[in-house]
Amino acid sequence: MHITKGERCCAILTATTLVLLSLAGCTTTVKQEAKGTFIEGDVAGGEAETLNWILAADASSFAYAGYTVESLASYDNNFNVVLRCLAKDIEVSPDGLAYTITIRDDLRWSNNSPVTAEDYVYTLKNLMFSDWLNYNYREDWMEEFGGKKVFVTPEVINQTTFTITRKTVQPEFIYTLYDLIPYPKYISVKYEGDVEKFTQAREFNELSYTGNLGPYKFKEWLKNDKFVLERNPDFFLGKDNGAPYFQQYIIKVLGTSAVMQAALEAGDITYCGIEPHNVAKFKKMDRINVYTIPTRGYNIISYNQRANGWEGLRRKEVRQAISMAVDKETIVRRIYLGFAEPAYSFIPSSSPWYTDDTVLKLGVAPLNSKQKAMEMLRSAGYEYTKNGDKNILLDKSGQPVKLLLVTTPGSDVVESMSLLIKQELSDIGIDVEVKWVQWSTLLRQYMMNKVPGSDQELRYNNGPEAVSEEPWDLSLMGHNTDPMAPSGSAVFFASDGGLNSFGFFNDEVDQLFHKIRSKDGLDKTARAGMYGQLARLISEEQPVDFLTFTRANVGFQKNVKGIEPGINMGYNSYLWRFE
Amino acid sequence: MRNYIIKRLFYSVIIAWGILTVTFILLRIGPSSPVDRYILNIAARGSDVESVRQAIEARYGLDKPLLEQYFDYMGNLLQGNWGWSFSASMPVMDLIGSHWIYSFQLILLSTIFAILLGIGLGVLSAVKQNTRFDYAASIFSFIGISIPNFWLGLMLIMAFAVNLGMFKTYYDTSYSIWSLENLRQLILPVLALGTGELAGYVRYTRSSMLDNLHKEFVTTARAKGLPERTVIGKHVFRNAMLPLVTIIMFDLGSVVFGGAYLTEIVFGIPGLGQVSFNAIFANDYAVVVAVTLISTFLVLFINLATDILYTYLDPRIRYE
Repeated sequence: MHITKGERCCAILTATTLVLLSLAGCTTTVKQEAKGTFIEGDVAGGEAETLNWILAADASSFAYAGYTVESLASYDNNFNVVLRCLAKDIEVSPDGLAYTITIRDDLRWSNNSPVTAEDYVYTLKNLMFSDWLNYNYREDWMEEFGGKKVFVTPEVINQTTFTITRKTVQPEFIYTLYDLIPYPKYISVKYEGDVEKFTQAREFNELSYTGNLGPYKFKEWLKNDKFVLERNPDFFLGKDNGAPYFQQYIIKVLGTSAVMQAALEAGDITYCGIEPHNVAKFKKMDRINVYTIPTRGYNIISYNQRANGWEGLRRKEVRQAISMAVDKETIVRRIYLGFAEPAYSFIPSSSPWYTDDTVLKLGVAPLNSKQKAMEMLRSAGYEYTKNGDKNILLDKSGQPVKLLLVTTPGSDVVESMSLLIKQELSDIGIDVEVKWVQWSTLLRQYMMNKVPGSDQELRYNNGPEAVSEEPWDLSLMGHNTDPMAPSGSAVFFASDGGLNSFGFFNDEVDQLFHKIRSKDGLDKTARAGMYGQLARLISEEQPVDFLTFTRANVGFQKNVKGIEPGINMGYNSYLWRFE
Repeated sequence: MRNYIIKRLFYSVIIAWGILTVTFILLRIGPSSPVDRYILNIAARGSDVESVRQAIEARYGLDKPLLEQYFDYMGNLLQGNWGWSFSASMPVMDLIGSHWIYSFQLILLSTIFAILLGIGLGVLSAVKQNTRFDYAASIFSFIGISIPNFWLGLMLIMAFAVNLGMFKTYYDTSYSIWSLENLRQLILPVLALGTGELAGYVRYTRSSMLDNLHKEFVTTARAKGLPERTVIGKHVFRNAMLPLVTIIMFDLGSVVFGGAYLTEIVFGIPGLGQVSFNAIFANDYAVVVAVTLISTFLVLFINLATDILYTYLDPRIRYE
């Protein structure tokens, strides 16, 4: 083949151009145009309480502030850590006691001063750990050492590096660290020591200090109506790609979910949650994309194992029998219309610590059988009598077993589930009376407890001898878990758990929780094994009947692009855009 | 009359103080705590509930003895400080100041709509008794009274906002209160809130008018040769108004506390109804007490205005 000089030159030129183009493609990102207003629908009651997030106890306040200030790290839908304000990963010392955090060097407050390691350390030492401010979650930053609770030790190393040193190993402390957001020292010092002034500080309540730390800037907040943010053109993650791509981001509060879904249907809002019974309708709409995503929420029936619950509930076999009689797949199918999955412990299947093969799957075939449940109750020493065709379970004194199930009113799902449980237990000869009580009454009279005759203050767990003011046997409640650090559920299932209101005390469970949160858990494989054991033990012990992990349905207008549906769907929301 | 009004105002202050004190004490000694709503959030973080409760109560002075809290509150109130809303993170005065207008415009417009149309239809219905118009008005009013306003609101949204696209599905606060757009977007909420009242006024007006139409003074007026318009407008209508005023004023009170709130919820109007509802659920004591106080004064004022209106409508009524 003969190639002329001209052709050779042309080929070289073409090849060079292609190489340059491909290199350009590797090093630069095509900037998208920012346009439009994204309106997220939210139902009344879910609104944030304050933008001065350090004072908040609710999750929404942290979420609202999170649009304007990034935390140290976030997670994608597979729980991979996505670094945000960090230049590099947090380094953990081999002994698990020291954490070295290096932040980016291009972070700026609104007065253009740099965000430094000093701001982070100041936030911890002078605000979160202080007595005058009473940060709600300061226990997250404490550890037990020498018989008392002490704070971890933060220390500035240089402009962009600080360390946090612990006296004891807690492998899951790193997740607390990832969520850390700084307060600007240059503003905070003005209010230091005066909680009233700090609470009312305009800079904090209007997020006017946030500089280039978040994709959006605060614009307006009319309580019970809307939270308005505008695009932050200086956002540190938007330098290369031009993100975020919405000119405005609004969270609009609507009175009911019916109105919210009507607003989505009419195109008045861009995104909102969709109730299970409306999913099919929205899926048929050309303008709407519906995604089903896992959540952190699960439902349980608690078994009162304290002295004022039915004595049978203090026995593992009885709890197992009852759990076996309640069909979780029916709950998933009939009540959640398929948008849930059976639960067997507090570790969801979406968690990296979930192990499917170790758990006892009570309430799901083949371990969902009324016949087997009745046999288990018989082997536990309980007898049956007949009333016509109906079997009646008798307690040790020969009286029919009648259990009281307490729950809160106002939710169709809870009401349907209570009635289903009543029916299921009726089939194994247990009569269930359902009692609806308001949340505060449920907490005070049924969940809080104390040792009778003592001068203890009411708490959710005052030890094994404590009982609630009113007797109860079962309670139906919804809980949340953290898939990344499920050991936080020790608050319910450990003997000293602050919310162990149902009185479950098991040394083996306590030891496993302790091991996970000690140097034994530093090795991730070892920790996974411990979580596997814990899930098995919990599913066997059945301190509660884990019913279902719920899934959420969310609807977006179809012209929204860049969404990655999943449990942490919002992690890349600054990259969402209109087509 | 002046002395009477001054006396009533003085009594109003005493009553308001009593209600404020009772509300304050009931809220504090009740079983609820501001921490209740955070329990699940605290649990999800694996935090200690007791330490969070203590932190929150200490920060907002809720850990002080009840009497100390009460005197602190009263002292601040007398200085014009209504306290700090911890569920809205702003002074209570600012919270109410930024929301009252939304309730006020809704209640005002729906009341005007209901009174004008309701009384008009009622008068015509009575004058044209047992005609097709009267039957139609009766059917309309029975339906109107029976429909709950929140359900009507949802239906109006589905029909006119979702299906016909004539309105937004929710109230948009971006429009100025004084703009035409704002007036336009209030059409559906006013219809939802006002229809029940309107229907009631049709029935009451018709019935009151019919009572008076057959009285002797009407026969006398007609015998004197007065035009029918004067007979109806001046003699019958004015007398028929007396019981109506009581009902309208009573309704105004109940609209403020009940109907308007539900309409605000359905249409996403950020009025005082929503503010107080959310404050109750958040156990935000300062807001609940403030809204109760405002409502108390409103009802007392409405009662006083009703009594004064009586003297105008019926010159025989005199207050000493």
